[in-house]
Amino acid sequence: MSPRPMRSPKLPPAQHKRPPLIWETVILVAIIIVCVFPFYWMVTTSLKTHIVALEAPPAWIFEPTFNNYSEALFKDGVLRTLFNSLIIAICTTCLALILGIPAAFALARFEFRGKKDLWFWFITNRMVSPIVLALPFFLIAKNLGLLDRHITLILIYLTFNLPIVIWIVTDQIRGIPFELDEAARLEGASQFTIMTRICLPLAMPGVAVSAIFSFIFSWNELMFGLILTRNDAKTAPAMAVSFMEGYNLPYGKIMATSTLIVIPVLIFALLASRHLVRGLTMGAVK
Amino acid sequence: MRGRVSRLTVLAFVAPAVLSLALVGIAPLLFAGWTSLHFYNLTKLRRVAFIGLENYQTVLGDEVFWQAVGRTLFLLGTALPIQIAFGLGVAIILHRPGLNLLKTLTRLSLVLPMATTYAVVGLLGQVMFNQKFGVINQLLPGPGINWIGDPQNAFIMIIFWDVWQWTPFVALVLLAGLTMVPGEVEEAARLETKSWWTILRHVQLPFLIPGLVAVLILRTADTLKLFDMVFTLTRGGPGAATEFVSLMIQRVGFRAFDQGLASAQAIILLIITIILAQIYIRIFYKEV
Amino acid sequence: MKKYILTNAVSAAALSLGLAVGGISHAMTWSLKDAAAPYSGTTVDVVFLLRPGYEAIEAMLPAFEDETGIQINIIKHPYENALGEQVRDFVADGDLDIALIDLVWIGNFAENEWVIPVDELQAKFPDIVDPDLDINDFFPLVLNAFGGWDGKIYGVPFDNYSGLLFYNRCLLEESGFDGPPETWAELKDVYGPALTKDGKYAFALQSKRNETQSADSFARVIWPFGGSFLDENFRSNLLSEESQAGLKFRQDLMQYMPDGIVAYDHAEVVNAFAQGDVAMITEWSAFYSTVVSEETSAVADCVAIAPEPKGPAGRKPALGGFSLAVASQADEAEQAAAWLFIQWATSKANALEYLERGGVPARASAYADPALAETYTFIPALVESWQDGVPEFRPRFAEWPEITEIVQEWGTKMMLGEVTTEEGAAEIGSRMEAVLEAAGYYSGDKPLAQ
Repeated sequence: MSPRPMRSPKLPPAQHKRPPLIWETVILVAIIIVCVFPFYWMVTTSLKTHIVALEAPPAWIFEPTFNNYSEALFKDGVLRTLFNSLIIAICTTCLALILGIPAAFALARFEFRGKKDLWFWFITNRMVSPIVLALPFFLIAKNLGLLDRHITLILIYLTFNLPIVIWIVTDQIRGIPFELDEAARLEGASQFTIMTRICLPLAMPGVAVSAIFSFIFSWNELMFGLILTRNDAKTAPAMAVSFMEGYNLPYGKIMATSTLIVIPVLIFALLASRHLVRGLTMGAVK
Repeated sequence: MRGRVSRLTVLAFVAPAVLSLALVGIAPLLFAGWTSLHFYNLTKLRRVAFIGLENYQTVLGDEVFWQAVGRTLFLLGTALPIQIAFGLGVAIILHRPGLNLLKTLTRLSLVLPMATTYAVVGLLGQVMFNQKFGVINQLLPGPGINWIGDPQNAFIMIIFWDVWQWTPFVALVLLAGLTMVPGEVEEAARLETKSWWTILRHVQLPFLIPGLVAVLILRTADTLKLFDMVFTLTRGGPGAATEFVSLMIQRVGFRAFDQGLASAQAIILLIITIILAQIYIRIFYKEV
Repeated sequence: MKKYILTNAVSAAALSLGLAVGGISHAMTWSLKDAAAPYSGTTVDVVFLLRPGYEAIEAMLPAFEDETGIQINIIKHPYENALGEQVRDFVADGDLDIALIDLVWIGNFAENEWVIPVDELQAKFPDIVDPDLDINDFFPLVLNAFGGWDGKIYGVPFDNYSGLLFYNRCLLEESGFDGPPETWAELKDVYGPALTKDGKYAFALQSKRNETQSADSFARVIWPFGGSFLDENFRSNLLSEESQAGLKFRQDLMQYMPDGIVAYDHAEVVNAFAQGDVAMITEWSAFYSTVVSEETSAVADCVAIAPEPKGPAGRKPALGGFSLAVASQADEAEQAAAWLFIQWATSKANALEYLERGGVPARASAYADPALAETYTFIPALVESWQDGVPEFRPRFAEWPEITEIVQEWGTKMMLGEVTTEEGAAEIGSRMEAVLEAAGYYSGDKPLAQ
C-alpha cells in the first residue's frame, strides 16, 4: 500500500489496490496548469493591443501583435536594462564565487575558534531585509559618488549571494571524504592546492547550483535596483515597474516587459532544474 | 587532529569573504545606527541633528509600525501552513512510482514559479485579478470579486501569490527528503501498515524534518523581506491592508524622506530578524 | 496668506518690468539660435512624466534641438516615483539640470536651493532672456502656485491642470438631466440616485493611496465645504465643522461610486468613464484628449465638460501642475541651456502647438481666440477655474511629502470605514502637527508659509 495524496481523503483507507491512476493524473495535470497558466496569461496579454487588453471579460482569442515588444525594447529602452541586469548578475555571481568558495572550504575543512559564529553570521546576512541596507547604502553610495553605477549593485548583491554560496558549497565540500585531502597533504600539497585541485572539482555541482541561485536572485532583485540606480545602471525589474504611471496603465507593454524579464531566467532555471532541486536539497537537507 | 591549521591559513581563506561582507553588510548597518540617532530628512539635510533615542521612541510607540509587523507575521502564519500542506501533498504524489513522464513534467513546471521575478508576479497579479478585465473573475462563478480594492480580498490575493510562488519550493525540498528514505525501510514499513499517515509519521518524517526547518527559516526571512511583489501589486493598499513591514520602511525612508526614523525602524526589524533566526538556527541547526 | 500671495504677484510684476526695461536693447535682434550659439552641444538632463503634456513637448523637441544644438536628455518616470528620483538626484549632486516641480514640491526645492530663482538666473545670463517671455501672460494663480515660493518665482508653469467635471451627456440626458450638477449636494442627492443603476454609477472619485488620495480625493472634498488642512496658526483644521462636513460628504457619496474606489487611480477612473460605466468624474484637464479620442474612449461623442461643482464655500476646484526650474547643481552652460529650453517650451509662440498636441499651456494669450473653445471644449471651464483658486489647495511647504503620506494612509482608512472621519482627522491632525512642530513652525523658527 502506498501513500495516497492528502487531497482525496474520502477513499477508504484500507484499499489494497493502488488508488486509480486517473486521480493522480488529474491532480498532476492540475498542478501543471496552476504553475503554467499565469505565464500563458502573461504572454498572451503581452500580444494584445491596449484596447483588447482592457476588454471585459478578457479575450482568449484575438489577433496577436508584437507592437508591445518593439515599443518596449527599442523605444522605451528595455533592451538596455536587460543588458544591465545581465552584466550585474554575472559579475556579482562570479565575485560571490571567488570570495565564497575559499571561505566555504575553510568552514568545511578547518577547525578554528568562532567557526560556528562565523558561519551563523554569514547565513544571517541572507535573512536581512534589503530595506535595512538600502537606506544607508544609498547614503554611502551617494557620498562616494557611486549611485547609478553597475559596481554598486554588484557589491550590494553580495549580501545575499555570498551567504548562498557559502551555505551550499560548505555543505558540498563537507560531503567529500577527508581522506582525499590527507592523501594530498602527505604528498606535500598546500591547502590552496587541495582546495583548487581536489575539493573544487568534486564540489562542482554545489558550486554550479549556488551560481545558478546567485544569478537568479540577482536578476530578479528589485528594491536595490530601484533605489540605487536612476538611468545608466537601471535594471530590468526596475524598468518594468516604471511603466506604472497612474495616468494610464499600458498593460500590454507591462506584460511584454515582464515576459522579456522572466523568459531568460525561466529557460535558465529549466535547463538547470535538476541541479536546482539538488541545490535546495543541499541547502536544506543535511 | 584533522582540520588543525594555523590561524594565518584560516585568515587567508576566510578574510576576503568576511571583509567584503563587512564592507557591504556591516558598514551600512553602522551608518544606519548613526542615522537612526539623528534627525535626518533627505529634504532637510541642512538640519541634521543628534536627537538620541527619539526615533526609537517614536517607532516603539507607533501602533502603525507594530500593525505592519503583526500583519507580516500574520501573513507568515497563514501562508506557510498552506504551503507546507500543499507542498507535502505534491511531494507525496511525486514520490509515488508510475506516471514518470507526467511527473517529470510536473517537476519542471514547479521550477517556474520559484524562478519568476517577484516584481513580475505582482504585475501579473494586477492583470489577472483586476475586477473587470481580470481572468480570475472570468473563471470564477458569480459576480466579479473586487480583489484589489477590498482589504480582506487584497490580503487573500497576496496569500494566493505567495502560495503560488513558494509551494513548489516546499514541495521540491520535501520531495528531496522523501527520496532520502532508504527503499528497504519504506518497503518494510509498507508491509506492516497500510496507513499512509503512519508511514509518513514514523518512517518519512524524520527525513523531512531538516527540509521543513530550512523551509521555516527561509520563508520567515523572505516574508520579513517581502517587498517586490506587494509593491507592484497593491503598494500596501487598500488603506494599509497589505502594508508589510518592509513596505512601510520604504515609504517612510524614500517617500516621506525621513531616513532617521526609517533607519530606526530598519534596525528594529533587523533585531526581530536576528532573534527569530537565532531561535531557529540554534534550535534546529546544532551541528556545523 | 493673502498677503503672501500678493507679494508674490508684486514680485512677478517687478520681474517683468525689469525685463521690459533691460530687454529693449536686444528686443529687436534677439533670436533663439543666436542666443543658444555659445551653448550648442550642451546636454540638458530633465525628468519627464508619462503624461500627455510631456509627449507633446517631446514631439516638438526636434525643432528646438535643430535650432539650438542643445540636446535634451529626457528621463521618464511615473509620477509616484518622480519626487523620490529627483530628491535622490539633488542630494547626491547628480545630473539633473532642470527640476520638474509639482506645485506641492516647490517649498522643498526652493528651501533646499536646488533651483535658481528666475530673476537671479536672468541677471546671470542676460543675453539668453527672450524679450517675448512676458511672464505676466501666465495666469497669476498658476504662476504663483506652480512656480512661486516665498515671494520669488522659481519655476515656469509647464504642465498645467485644473480639476474639471467631465460628464457623459448621453447618460445624463437618458435620466432626464439637461445639464451637469451645479453643486456637490446636487450631484449627490439628485444625480447620484438617478444615475446609479444597471451596474452603472453616477460618479467616481479617484482615491488610491498615493498622491491621488490627498490631492484628488481628500483635498477636493474639504475645500468646497469651507474646510482646510491648517488654520491660520498652522494647527490642524481637519476637525473643524467644515472639514468634517466635507469628509462626511465623501463617505456619503461613496454609495454612488463603484466598489473598491479606494483602489482607483486616475487610470481606473478615466477608463471607467471612457467605457461608459460612470456618468461623471472630476479629473484633471490633462485627460481631455484621452476621453474625447475615439481610440481610447467608447463615449467620445458624449463627453461634455463643466467646472467642478460648488460647495457651500463656493467653487474650489482642484489645482495641480508642474513647473520647470533650472537646477543650481548644473554647470553654467547647462544652466543657460536649461533656461533656453524652459523658455522655449513655455513660450507664447509655441503655446498653440503645445495645445494642439495634447498639452495645456498656462498662458492667457493662448486662450484669447474664442474659436478655440469650440475645438477644445474644456477651455472655458479651465479658464474659469484659473481665475479664482486656492494655491494652498494642498500646502506647498517642504513638509508636504511627509504630510501627504499621513493623509494618504488615514484618508483611505476613513473611506474603508476602518476609522470614522473624526478619528481619522484626529490621527492626521496629531501626526501632521508633530511634523510641523519638528519643522519649527510653532516655535517661530519658520514663517507660516504654505
